[in-house]
Amino acid sequence: MAAQPNYALPNGYLLMDYRIVRKIGGGGFSLVYLAYDSNDQPVAIKEYLPGSLVKRGENDQVEPLTQENANAFRYGMKCFFEEGRSLARILHPNVVRVENFFRANDTVYMVMRYERGKTLQDHIRAHRGEVREGFIRRVFAELLNGLREVHTQKLLHLDIKPSNIYIRMDGSPVLIDFGAARQTLTLDQPLLAPMYTPGFAAPEQYTDQTMLGPWTDIYSVGASLYSCLAGFAPQAADARLISDKLASARSTWSSEYSESLLGIVDSCLHLNYMERPQSVFALQKALMETPPPLSKKRKIMASLRKTLNREIF
Amino acid sequence: MRFSIYQASRQGGRDYNQDRVAYSYSRDALLMVVADGMGGHSHGELAAQITVQTLAATFQRHARPKLSDPATFLHGALERAHLAINDHARTHNLNEIPHTTCVACVLQDDSAWWAHVGDSRLYLYGDNGLVTRTRDHSTVQQLCDDGFITQEEMKNHPDRNKIYNCLGGLMSPEVEVSRPIPLSEHDTILLCTDGLWGALTEEQIAATLRAFPLARAIEFLMDHAELRAGHAGDNLSAVAMTWGTMGEAGSQSVSTLTMPINTFTTKMDDLPAIPTDLAEEEVERAIAEIQDAIKKYSGK
Repeated sequence: MAAQPNYALPNGYLLMDYRIVRKIGGGGFSLVYLAYDSNDQPVAIKEYLPGSLVKRGENDQVEPLTQENANAFRYGMKCFFEEGRSLARILHPNVVRVENFFRANDTVYMVMRYERGKTLQDHIRAHRGEVREGFIRRVFAELLNGLREVHTQKLLHLDIKPSNIYIRMDGSPVLIDFGAARQTLTLDQPLLAPMYTPGFAAPEQYTDQTMLGPWTDIYSVGASLYSCLAGFAPQAADARLISDKLASARSTWSSEYSESLLGIVDSCLHLNYMERPQSVFALQKALMETPPPLSKKRKIMASLRKTLNREIF
Repeated sequence: MRFSIYQASRQGGRDYNQDRVAYSYSRDALLMVVADGMGGHSHGELAAQITVQTLAATFQRHARPKLSDPATFLHGALERAHLAINDHARTHNLNEIPHTTCVACVLQDDSAWWAHVGDSRLYLYGDNGLVTRTRDHSTVQQLCDDGFITQEEMKNHPDRNKIYNCLGGLMSPEVEVSRPIPLSEHDTILLCTDGLWGALTEEQIAATLRAFPLARAIEFLMDHAELRAGHAGDNLSAVAMTWGTMGEAGSQSVSTLTMPINTFTTKMDDLPAIPTDLAEEEVERAIAEIQDAIKKYSGK
């Protein structure tokens, strides 16, 4: 279902104690604004606004499009609460921090700490194909600390991808946007069908929602690692299930990255979830091992292969 | 009129039941309807619900106590349902017009008339097995009629869900209306969605209807179809009527002889409420809980 035109709250809008600066993101379920709180500290405010179900009406109030939608809207709100509830219990430097949660305009808002920096996606774009192994290992090993905490709270992220990994100014990563965590809860609610990010969603997210687990997030971590090496997302899992054309990291980048890192990437991207690392801890441990120094000179074939890859995408 | 009637609808392995069934009868006429809201289209269940409601309402307006012309009634009522779906989509600003199949049957004067759009079916069984059934408005039925595939191959063909005729949408439906068929004692008419017929053969249905009283037979067929379809099985729905029989366990036995002339008995399930609706106080409680957690974990 296509989203209805939902306009964002205007810049300068006063929402409780917060002053909206501008809209900085949003998807099918919500909009995200940059705002300042009463102490002039920046925050990110997420507004629950499923575009397929509601519109913004008089006085910025959110109104369901139809009566049936009102029920679905309320149901989705419950999922938004789940996200807030889970995040509120996670106090971890590598997971986005929730600072407030409130009701206004007939919908609900989640206030999160605003992180300065850029997304991993921006970093990949800026260093296409040249992301250093040391950077990859450090960022992911640290990020997995956060993911471990998430899994400890019995929550799955389900939408890990470079654009949801924020790199702060000091280089530390933070996992943002837990909106997809609602996926596990919407199985009986077709109006709020789950959304996947092609390339990063695990095969079981397309096929069997009952098979989701930590291994699902691990696939997405593997896909994110892969895109650090490649500069683009791997082939989407649903397409891989039909015809797997994904070139293994080991065969593609053997001259640029260590054997162990490439092995980790390939192991995370197994279509069969049983063959992936079974816990974030195991994956983290592997990432934190110091790689043997890479002494081989780049071979002409590898160089050619890399150039070809770049040309295609 | 005397008959036994039974209807049932199951969700199968789906997250949502988009099938709707209903029957309604006056002293001299009976209407049965099955509609299968279309998956892949949003709000398929709305289209199905509007269809059964429109048919029942139109029936009750015109069966006084019987219809002057059942064939015209069926044709008109299905067209009316099509327009009602489109009206609903327009007034509620739905992004997509929902679609539904429909099969409806009228019984009066010891005869049956039926009409259908799409791939929900009507079967008429007599003492010697299948008398007739509706031909689906589907790609696979055309392939079968042209001799390219067999009846059994229809059930597993990759295009089995493609239908070219439905209620709701920009294309006007082509309502196919049968000629009247006289009914004899013990004839059974079964209206069902593809969730049921897709998992069973005509012989299985015939044998089951012969072997059990109506209500047991329908539940047995549903059990069987649901089991065969497995976890991802389609919604399955049926309404069935056996003419002239009385006193069968489970199904409703009806004698309309004593009914006042302009009254109706209708069985139709309401649109089920979404079960996990959030009450006002729950919203407040959830917010308070989250704020508590934020305070507690941030050490403020």
